[in-house]
Amino acid sequence: MKDSILLSILFWLFCMLIAPFFSAVILKVKAFFGGKKGPPLLINYFTLIKLLKKGSVYSSSTSFIFKLGPMVSFSSAIVSLLFLPVAGTSPVFSFNGDVIFILYLMGLGRFFTIAAALDTASPFEGMGAAREAFFPIICEATLFMILILFYMLTGKLELAAYFSGAQTKALWDSAGTPLIFIIVSLFMVLLTENARVPVDDPATHLELTMIHEVMVLDHSGPDLAFIELTSHYKLLFFSGLVAQLISGIGVAELALNFIVFILALLLVYVTVGIVESIRARFRMDLVPRFILASFALAFFSAIITMELMK
Amino acid sequence: MIHLVDTMLSLVLLSVLFSFSSNRLLVLIRILAFQGVVVSVVPLFIGQDISGGTLLFTFLTMAIRGAVIPVWLHLAIKQLIIEREVETTIGYHLSMLAGLGLIVSAIFVSQKFTVPSISHSVLLLPAAISLLLAGIFLLIARRNAIVMVLGYIMMENGIYLVGTTFSIRTQHIVEFGILLDILAAVMIMAVILRSIKQEFNAVDTALLSSLKE
Repeated sequence: MKDSILLSILFWLFCMLIAPFFSAVILKVKAFFGGKKGPPLLINYFTLIKLLKKGSVYSSSTSFIFKLGPMVSFSSAIVSLLFLPVAGTSPVFSFNGDVIFILYLMGLGRFFTIAAALDTASPFEGMGAAREAFFPIICEATLFMILILFYMLTGKLELAAYFSGAQTKALWDSAGTPLIFIIVSLFMVLLTENARVPVDDPATHLELTMIHEVMVLDHSGPDLAFIELTSHYKLLFFSGLVAQLISGIGVAELALNFIVFILALLLVYVTVGIVESIRARFRMDLVPRFILASFALAFFSAIITMELMK
Repeated sequence: MIHLVDTMLSLVLLSVLFSFSSNRLLVLIRILAFQGVVVSVVPLFIGQDISGGTLLFTFLTMAIRGAVIPVWLHLAIKQLIIEREVETTIGYHLSMLAGLGLIVSAIFVSQKFTVPSISHSVLLLPAAISLLLAGIFLLIARRNAIVMVLGYIMMENGIYLVGTTFSIRTQHIVEFGILLDILAAVMIMAVILRSIKQEFNAVDTALLSSLKE
């Protein structure tokens, strides 16, 4: 038992270290599609080190909320990673209902990002905050629908009960087709929550069209580094869930399972990169429809599963 | 263990949701063609015996549903240079939610039927009823005349699936008769479409209320 806890902590540290690397994979894929060489795979580490070396500049019109924002969202991202089952091992923390806890933990992080953005009193940031507050509401509906489905299948409200050991394989056995829809819908939520391309363009240079990026315009130095790390961790968390669903073969061999998991994770990131390369960003009024489609998918698979399980 | 037919039918149900949220005519036509193909091969998978006659009927229905009618409508769109965007009376978001509600209600309704079960597929009757309702919904919720034709065909797909659920032997003859009716109806609709387009330079059926002598 002690061993497994140690292993889980090891995996957690590994996740924290590796997350910026995976985000760079997306950049590489996009560069490949653009016919460019692209930045090195370690680019995000260089950026983070550069940012952490710098000092911070705070506008005189901001209050302590502004300084609190990056800290809170960063810590909420770290804590949510503690609950991620990596490669079928049990996570560091796990209790009944932890899924809901994680969802609201992320909500807390988001709330403070929004509060910090509003604190700057910049109209652009206020607009970004409004969008950031609106879109995840529909995402939450999708996530809860997926939770309901998993609850129907396993009777538990724990991430570990869905994704650790042979559980994922059991999910596939009992609900094969709907699970494919779930993967698609979870992927759509991933794109929305992490401000990736069809919803938001992380590389855009026009404040009016930004969602997430516009909210962090006023942050600098270490604060910006924490915000970047937060986005890497969040992306890793969601991709981890999708990858776990894809790679749910439930092999007893840990090393093999781990390799499959990493490959699945790479697959998810490369898919994000491909989507970013071949899709243009949606017009703002089309974004709710996109997220609603993910909800429809999740709801639909829940109905189908209910029917098939009879 | 999940039946192959159930997998296909869940894709059909998904295509219903897609058709509710799509605002492109060409996408709708492709969805219809897909539904037509699936609906016409389903009897092969749940039928007990595969004879030359059933194969022939299946191929004919598949050709009409999956190729003739979609290509026809596609040509109609091309010739009439109809706008690719669909006019609605009920918005896309609401349509999508309505689609979900429709599938749920279809599943609940189908549980009330006491049908002598001829297959292990649990989704057969729900899919049939959903297709029927979805066809009616498209007729109500869209003002574009071509989408109305598509809704009509979707309804017919549903009727065919209902027939498949209830009987396996006699259904081919009856169904083939209905299919020929549908084909004729689509042709007539194509002609009417042409005259609507000539009169108003659009295929919006709401304009028909302004007709005067």
